[in-house]
Amino acid sequence: MIRGLALRSLCSLRVANLVEYLVGPLGLGLKDSNSYVRMVAAIGVLKLYHISVSTCVDADFPAMLKHLMLHDPDAQVVANCLSALQEIWSLEASSSEEASRDRETLLSKPVIYYLLNRMKEFSEWAQCLVLELVVKYVPSESSEIFDIMNLLEDRLQHANGAVVLATIKLFLQLTLSMTDVHQQVYERIKAPLLTLVSSGSPEQSYAVLSHLHLLVMRAPMLFSSDYKHFYCQYNEPFYVKKLKLEMLTAVANESNTYEIVTELCEYAANVDIPIARESIRAVGKIALQQYDVNAIVDRLLQFLEMEKDYVTAETLVLVKDLLRKYPQWSHDCIAVVGNISTKNIQEPKAKAALIWMLGEYSQDMHDAPYILESLIDNWDDEHSAEVRLHLLTAVLKCFFKRPPETQKALGAALAAGLVDFHQYNVSVAERVVNPPKQAVSVFADTQNSEIKDRIFDEFNTLSVVYQKGQNLQITLFQLRGLEANDKDLLLGTSEKEESRGPINNGSEYSAPMYDGSSVSMAASQTQAELTISNPTLPAHASSLAIDDLLGLGLPVASTPVPSPPPLKLNAKAGLDPGTFQQKWRQLPIASSQEYSLSPQGVVALTAPQALLRHMQGHSIHCIASGGKSPNFKFFFFAQKAEESSTFLVECIINTSSSKSQIKIKADDQSTSQAFSDLFQSALSKFGMP
Amino acid sequence: MLQCIFLLSDSGEVMLEKQLTGHRVDRSICDWFWEHAISQGDSFKLLPVVASPTHYLFQIVREGITFLACTQVEMPPLMGIEFLCRVADVLSDYLGGLNEDLIKDNFVIVYQLLDEMIDNGFPLTTEPNILREMIAPPNIVSKVLSVVTGNSSNMSNTLPGATASCVPWRTTDLKHSNNEVYVDLVEEMDAIINRDGVLVKCEIFGEVQVNSHLSGLPDLTLSFANPSILNDVSFHPCVRFRPWESHQILSFVPPDGQFKLMSYRVKKLKSTPIYVKPQLTSDAGTCRLNVLVGIRNDPGKTIDSIAVQFQLPPCILSADLTSNHGTVNILANKTCSWSIGRIPKDKAPSMTGTLVLETGLERLNVFPTFQVDFRIMGVALSGLQIDKLDLKNLPTRPYKGFRALTRAGEYEVRSQF
Repeated sequence: MIRGLALRSLCSLRVANLVEYLVGPLGLGLKDSNSYVRMVAAIGVLKLYHISVSTCVDADFPAMLKHLMLHDPDAQVVANCLSALQEIWSLEASSSEEASRDRETLLSKPVIYYLLNRMKEFSEWAQCLVLELVVKYVPSESSEIFDIMNLLEDRLQHANGAVVLATIKLFLQLTLSMTDVHQQVYERIKAPLLTLVSSGSPEQSYAVLSHLHLLVMRAPMLFSSDYKHFYCQYNEPFYVKKLKLEMLTAVANESNTYEIVTELCEYAANVDIPIARESIRAVGKIALQQYDVNAIVDRLLQFLEMEKDYVTAETLVLVKDLLRKYPQWSHDCIAVVGNISTKNIQEPKAKAALIWMLGEYSQDMHDAPYILESLIDNWDDEHSAEVRLHLLTAVLKCFFKRPPETQKALGAALAAGLVDFHQYNVSVAERVVNPPKQAVSVFADTQNSEIKDRIFDEFNTLSVVYQKGQNLQITLFQLRGLEANDKDLLLGTSEKEESRGPINNGSEYSAPMYDGSSVSMAASQTQAELTISNPTLPAHASSLAIDDLLGLGLPVASTPVPSPPPLKLNAKAGLDPGTFQQKWRQLPIASSQEYSLSPQGVVALTAPQALLRHMQGHSIHCIASGGKSPNFKFFFFAQKAEESSTFLVECIINTSSSKSQIKIKADDQSTSQAFSDLFQSALSKFGMP
Repeated sequence: MLQCIFLLSDSGEVMLEKQLTGHRVDRSICDWFWEHAISQGDSFKLLPVVASPTHYLFQIVREGITFLACTQVEMPPLMGIEFLCRVADVLSDYLGGLNEDLIKDNFVIVYQLLDEMIDNGFPLTTEPNILREMIAPPNIVSKVLSVVTGNSSNMSNTLPGATASCVPWRTTDLKHSNNEVYVDLVEEMDAIINRDGVLVKCEIFGEVQVNSHLSGLPDLTLSFANPSILNDVSFHPCVRFRPWESHQILSFVPPDGQFKLMSYRVKKLKSTPIYVKPQLTSDAGTCRLNVLVGIRNDPGKTIDSIAVQFQLPPCILSADLTSNHGTVNILANKTCSWSIGRIPKDKAPSMTGTLVLETGLERLNVFPTFQVDFRIMGVALSGLQIDKLDLKNLPTRPYKGFRALTRAGEYEVRSQF
């Protein structure tokens, strides 16, 4: 005992100078007659390795550990050797071939079998360690798989949750390729998991529950008979309840929908507001899965009569979604919805939903126009853009169905809408007139399931507990990773520019412009974020688009026109795209302004070329242009007549709002204002005869 | 692999820090954690695994003390949580409770224990029996001794024999003057009764607890009269698996002292021993409450310490409740508890009263959930019965004792109008 303690204390001193005194005792310790000392020494080697790699390897400790691991009679010594070796070898593997080969042998059949056969001797923690190792082992034939599973089946009934989970992970991994056995494994592990949830501390049961959540999401059918386990208890913490609600939603099928929905309705009357909201949403999700909709709609309508503002708000949103999917229920719903006073609803989402329904079913609702009218009277109190938009559309719809009653309201709404029209950009306005009617379908999100699959590989890891992929989490190497990422990004952009370089020569095209449009294209799809976040994608898109843009290639001819006196521009200025980009990046923005175009100019600007020719007339040359009506984007440049000082311009023109945004950069800041005036006057003359 | 363990007091102060590996974990992580915990409001609501900007943190809270473990590498989550739970159990076992003062008084022991329980981030010995032999628990005698002799070490000089034996949970040569073994069936009933009085879910989670004081290396066999009712079981490591699989017999060499031999689950029970019938009627800003309690299925033994507890909804201004049996208390946090004790023979206990609602509210719109508590000595409601207990390998005939106890776990009754 004393020997062991002394050795442990010695090894725990993290002082490099003492290393030489460590080697001797450690060597003796590894050969000590008492297993406790050997056990401490095995870990001591690992500590030594962290202090000084070379001393540890020179003294040949890893080899001694390996010998101990395979031959020591004491299981705890074996386990400690195993953990020490695993860490040393995995750190060493990158530098030495021998270590990585050793690491491979750890996964060989004899070693694995040796460890498995001694399984029962190991302490519970060591069992976890061994099980983790076995997960990495790939059995060569299916009889081996069954051998291992038979051997380890009793581990499922271990009192320690960590052992149980490690075993489950092993079983699932082993049977991944055998579908029918895999199903049996699910059946087998169900009971132990449910027991684990009900035993132990809340922390443990939460961790197990999140694993269960993962399995339920993967195989909801298997758990559909156990739905009662996912009923929430009154005093469980919020996060547990939320997890359970999700599982209840997932396991719902024809046979148990009624019970589950009844249970969920109980929560809606619960004291806990967030849970009540969640459960109403869960009811809606189940309804969208098309089981027993009739009963569910009735329930939802009951919610509306409960007269609690948050319940009503959530329910309204749901009823709207349901109506989109099942229009046949409209009559029942409308009757109830019509009775709701709009004054009680404060949340924008719910309000928008109510207004949508008023508009959509105005022919069935007797007083819809009048409700809408009173809402419009309060237009100014309405701060949410969403509500205003819905209000506009609803009035419009109502107008088409019942013109006489709505005419006045529509006028008021349009007037009110116009007042704050400037607040919205065109795309929003477009949405007002032409609202997207996305179909409400089952919420099957492919990306989500992908993450689930990936997490599944990480069963029994930390990521499960908070449901994120491993790569989304912080690791030791996060900092390094971030740097690498940055570098990638930089590389990505410079590559992008390089790849653009050769094609660009002679053609007037610059990538940033197309980036913009590709983003807007992507934005119409749901995966906008993906596209934007991926730096290589726009580059790819741009190279594809170049062919198109070459079609817009610009005329070379230039007609020099006498420039206005204060600032003379070189009419035959030349600048290659590479220099332009370089300068654009380097220079600060000298001025950034917004002009409105003359109406004639807007009319003339049907294609980018027209403006280019016009500007060239003013000795302002275009280096790149693109876009489609109503949005155009141009990059111009100009040179001073006497010197080589250049001006760079980015000009975005929107023909529908007749606005142009101009950013000017200049070598010589002092003259930038003069140039800006010049540019503006040139622009304003555009379209004039 | 855990890198560091911190013990925080209920004010967020770091009481104890144990670095486990070469990579030092800075104390500032605790500040981060504490701020996080406070910003989350109720620290009870914090998840057991938190990702801080630099580390993963495992946390469990026991009696106001937060056990915090840090790691930077991926590891099985339950290993961390389970280990912290063990640490908490062992500490409270050693110190006879858990609080700030006890830990501060016994720093040395806590560090010694942690040293034995975990080395370089790998859990080692967590069996309380063995730890007890390596590190003597604090008691008055040892304190006096250490003061008198100046010898402050309470580490034993000899190693526990069990670390080398094939039954690591038991020391090899134990001697008790009177040999005795007690087997307790402790069951908890979880039930949900919905607003229509229908039993939605009823389940029993039970444990077989054994307290053994037996000399030598005894071999015990425990069999049940009706093992088929058990839905799922999990065992202490000492239980041999094969006899259970073939004959549903528990065969084991027990550790010394109190331990949990087996836990089990019995589901789909059809009835509950008592009924609780809440009735609420609202009228013009007040609500009448009436709760009736009575025996539904007589289990044959007396039902003890019955209590009904519920949270008054926030929209209630004041409550006036009386009962014809037992006492009613309304606490400051609007928790109302009615302790009944035993149900008298001649009358059915009831609690009646009025709740005054917030002005403007016509009727109650949230329904409280009633949590019911009870204890029944001498009966296991699941119906599980111990058939016999055989002891082998013993010098003298030991005394055998059996007990059973059922208590309410999460027993909920939902109310309605």
